[in-house]
Amino acid sequence: MNSMHSATLDAATGWLILAVFSVIWVALGGYLGRRAVGLEGYMLAGRKVGLALGTATAMATWVTSNTTMAAPQLALQMGVWGMLGYSLGSVGLMLFAPLAKRIHALMPSGYTSGDFMRIRYGTTTWRVFLVISLLYGLGWLVSMGMAGGVLVHALTGIDYRIGMSVILAVCVLYTMLGGLRAVIGTDFLQTLIILVGVVILAWLAITEVGFERMHASVLDERPELLNLLMPAAIMFLFNNLLFGVGEIFHSNVWWSRAFAFREGVGFKAYLIAGLFWMPIPVVAGFIALTVPALGLNVPAADMVGPLVAANLLGASGAILVFIVVFAALASSLDSLLAATSDLILTDIYKGHFRPDASDAELGRAARWVVMGLGVFAWLLCLPRITTLAELLYFTGAFVASTIWPIAAGLFWRRVNPAGAALAMVAGTVIGLGGYFLIGFYVAALISAVVSMSIVLVSTWLRPGDFDWSTLANASQARS
Amino acid sequence: MTISVTALTWLVGTATLITVLAPIVLMIFWILDLLKGRLW
Repeated sequence: MNSMHSATLDAATGWLILAVFSVIWVALGGYLGRRAVGLEGYMLAGRKVGLALGTATAMATWVTSNTTMAAPQLALQMGVWGMLGYSLGSVGLMLFAPLAKRIHALMPSGYTSGDFMRIRYGTTTWRVFLVISLLYGLGWLVSMGMAGGVLVHALTGIDYRIGMSVILAVCVLYTMLGGLRAVIGTDFLQTLIILVGVVILAWLAITEVGFERMHASVLDERPELLNLLMPAAIMFLFNNLLFGVGEIFHSNVWWSRAFAFREGVGFKAYLIAGLFWMPIPVVAGFIALTVPALGLNVPAADMVGPLVAANLLGASGAILVFIVVFAALASSLDSLLAATSDLILTDIYKGHFRPDASDAELGRAARWVVMGLGVFAWLLCLPRITTLAELLYFTGAFVASTIWPIAAGLFWRRVNPAGAALAMVAGTVIGLGGYFLIGFYVAALISAVVSMSIVLVSTWLRPGDFDWSTLANASQARS
Repeated sequence: MTISVTALTWLVGTATLITVLAPIVLMIFWILDLLKGRLW
């Protein structure tokens, strides 16, 4: 039997990898940022991002440390449906493709998802949306920061606070230096690293263990993992699907890219990114099914990926996992920092406190907002409140309530603005009720159903009549 | 209902193949964008 210890690297190797990749990301981000001109250049990469960088940034941002670490964990706990359920997270990316095209057409000069909610539905609905969006953005940011510290500690033994601080500081530094250009440029390289890394691990598992032996061992020791009718896994599948759709539809992480992509790129980039993202949880996850064949003892399910990698490839396997995890963490953290700070800058700072702020003032403030957000997230990460990691499940009720107000608001001019606000509030409250009374797996589902019902009924009772040109005119005038 | 070894092989094999293709496709996109001056 192999022990957990075999999965960890020594701290010196960990520090070396951290140092090398930190220098690469900061240098690349700083270099790319030098070409960012003005506020649009900094916040939206000049609105001319092409298909290659657009597809890669959508993929990299959606591949979090969860994808690379939790996919094997889910395969170990829920079997085949666990990894398939996770891969349905790609549906959100693909469904966002037509929305990205619509967003770009309706608001060619828009900056944030908050811009759309304010112009489309008015101030009250905008503020409800901002609360949901900022809560979610901060929750995701903090959970990623904590995941960084936890994973660095688990893989290398480096203290949680130090590892978390280094990863957060590196991401804050290059995002602050280069804005969205730095984020998207580094995302391209990070995507390649992640894809090559998971393929190497999968190939090793296939050639060294083989499907026949893997299948026979699992069937012998853990037959439930190959059961296609595992109820808990099927419920997880649907919840994950809706949660992913809600996360992507409302979050400024995805909206800012829709604004940043060159005309005609948004639809293709999100669709291709979804198609290429879909197999990643399967490729990263199935290696957990080699555990019975390899005779591994897995003391903590969330470390099954590094454990199998170290068993198949020795120390090189652990190094590979560490590099992939660092790339996955950085690609999500930088996107969250940039998109959340955009929302704070335009919708809170300019929208609520400095409506007459010039582009030059906003450009200066943007860097301070990124830094302030990074420091705030760091303070929240310091205590290592593990329950905060579960915050993401908790936010399922919040984000799923936005699916209908967003999607209907983009395509249906009759949506009632007050109904949209009520749909988000009631969907969130009743979804949270489901979370506490029934379980995490129904929160997003209940929230989405309640929100949909309210949007439909309120529009049927008192239909609005929105003029689409308002969106283009208002965002043009503002910019 | 248990997934067969053939189905598991197909599932993981296809997923791995697509993941192998992804970086190649991204690099082709990158070269095309670069040649057309449409990278940024």
